[in-house]
Amino acid sequence: MLAAAGCVQQNKPHGWAGPACSHPLTECAEAGVADEMIVASTEKGELSALDPADDFSAVWTFPTGKEKPEIKLEAIYGTPVIRGGNVYFGAYDSKVYALGLADGAPVWDDPFDTGGPIVAGFAASETTLYAASEDGNVYALDLETGEAVWDRPFDTGAEVWGAPLLAGDRLYVVSVNGKLFALNAASGEPEWDQPFETGHGLISDPVLADGTVLVGGIDRGLHAVDAESGEELWSFKTDNWFWGRPLVDDGTAYAPNLDGRLYALSLEDGGAAWEAPFEADEPLRSAPVLAGGVLVIVDKGGNVYGLDPADGSLKWSAAAALEKTVLADPVVLGGKVVVSAEGGDLFTVDPIAGSFAKLVTK
Amino acid sequence: MLMVGAILFIAGAFFALGPGVAWDTLFINPLINSLLLLTNVFAGQFGVAIILFTVILRVATIPFTLRQLQSTRAMQEMQPRMQEIQKKYKDPKRRQEETLKLYRETGVNPLGCFMPMAIQMLVFFALYRALAFVVGGSPESLVGLSQRVYPWSYLTQSIPLEQSFLWLELGRPDKTYILPLMVGLSTYVQTRLSQTPASTPQQQQQQQMMTWMMPLVLVWITLALPSGVGVYWVISNVFSVFASYWVYGRRMSWRALLPMATATEPQRARPKPQTDVQPEAEGPAPAGPLEARSAHGKRRGKRKKRR
Repeated sequence: MLAAAGCVQQNKPHGWAGPACSHPLTECAEAGVADEMIVASTEKGELSALDPADDFSAVWTFPTGKEKPEIKLEAIYGTPVIRGGNVYFGAYDSKVYALGLADGAPVWDDPFDTGGPIVAGFAASETTLYAASEDGNVYALDLETGEAVWDRPFDTGAEVWGAPLLAGDRLYVVSVNGKLFALNAASGEPEWDQPFETGHGLISDPVLADGTVLVGGIDRGLHAVDAESGEELWSFKTDNWFWGRPLVDDGTAYAPNLDGRLYALSLEDGGAAWEAPFEADEPLRSAPVLAGGVLVIVDKGGNVYGLDPADGSLKWSAAAALEKTVLADPVVLGGKVVVSAEGGDLFTVDPIAGSFAKLVTK
Repeated sequence: MLMVGAILFIAGAFFALGPGVAWDTLFINPLINSLLLLTNVFAGQFGVAIILFTVILRVATIPFTLRQLQSTRAMQEMQPRMQEIQKKYKDPKRRQEETLKLYRETGVNPLGCFMPMAIQMLVFFALYRALAFVVGGSPESLVGLSQRVYPWSYLTQSIPLEQSFLWLELGRPDKTYILPLMVGLSTYVQTRLSQTPASTPQQQQQQQMMTWMMPLVLVWITLALPSGVGVYWVISNVFSVFASYWVYGRRMSWRALLPMATATEPQRARPKPQTDVQPEAEGPAPAGPLEARSAHGKRRGKRKKRR
């Protein structure tokens, strides 16, 4: 009985925050590794800034352990956001933190408490941070002060696990009750008469491309929704959940699924772009990335694959290369793919050669 | 016959699929999906589903539970004679022969409670693992759950499961200490009721230690486990207590559940010998609440008169 009880201990959250570079995400791919600071969770419940010029040594780590009262983040899931010399991230302890990128010192007087564990990543404009948590609310916070911008937070009605998506003055938010909302980013008021609904379980980060919002979830479907009207354009059903963020490139959506397949679909009508989906050895939670013309995907078991985005054929693979569980989204930095594994190890993968190197290991 | 067939089937599956896959396919995944199905049937009330699931599982295994309790009861009833053999025969070989003879006479199989207990343990192990996946408590556990849910959309409708139940968050430990204390108390009662009589002072000492250690350790473990598992424990223990009452009925001495009962037992009068037990023999102190009642000379006498 006691031995059986020991088996249940596995439920503690570890976190799967992907690494972030000191440029905005869209510019990371072009930035040179040596010029950048990488922010990553290299230890459970900790966030560190790493200096590539100094063998990726930690410039600072938060929390330091000296804070009064003591800070216990528990775990970090969403990829941190870097804006204006500060790094913003949410933790499983339900709080939003703002730290100076240079020294890791808190920027706000107090972290913002959302009232529920934070699993979703953030969206940010030049002045406002958009955060959502398991309390079901979406918050707009002033980047400088951490104070609420909207009159009241927007209540989605259920936990939010997908990162809000900011597109112009509109904010797209998904909820595990199966609803996709379009909000006015300035006021937090809904812009559609009715949210788009699937019934239950929208959990992937929404992605916007060519006027189409893509979102997937526990209902085993990937849904394409008109970004203006909220009408469904098409949906694609599989055998398992879409949790990883889809990647859209040149009219094709690459969507990872927990059934271990990477699906390539036409953004226009949801038709298959490849003869057959690519089959990985293990479930796919991490988002795919394009680097050097190669589609790179990492499965849960740490197997890394380089694919031809045109037909899904395998260019190279590194079986169990990382020897770690990988659930975090990678980032492309200076032409290399930076992968964060469970436990905090960081790797870079060369998308052309398929070789990899360990940056930070325990 | 049915049981033998089932055992052969399970053994074959373990051989053909490998232990890990067979364990998951035959035990863990069906339990997980049953739990999800029940949650949907009860409008997403996961807490209610855990309670009902526990009751259904305990009812399904009740033949094993009853057989185990009956074996325990039979062992308890022949305990005075066992003690007498231990005292009377110093030669180990002779003692063994007499013990086997006693088993034959009374029709008691000393291994009678082993198989039911082994099957129950198997089910409990599987259930704990299933709960670990379904209760969640972290996004990582949901990734694991996704690999075990059958491809039937109805099953996934309540995922992620509603975690709030009474004062609990089922995926998180109960910080109010109420549930851990309930687990400890129910485990104490259940442990006391399931104890077989001690035949030696050392055994009695071990049992006394178990009586306290088990509840205390489980309280400690429950403080760190998802509350959903604690709910299972409490309901399962309550069911075991009722099952004991069903088997023992009025023979059960609830007062003997009190901690003091054990401590005072050695001072009480020894039972009268049934057959060949020497009257002056001083046997080791009994431990269980049932033994405490049957060891009481007066009551034993009254029962004989009724007969």
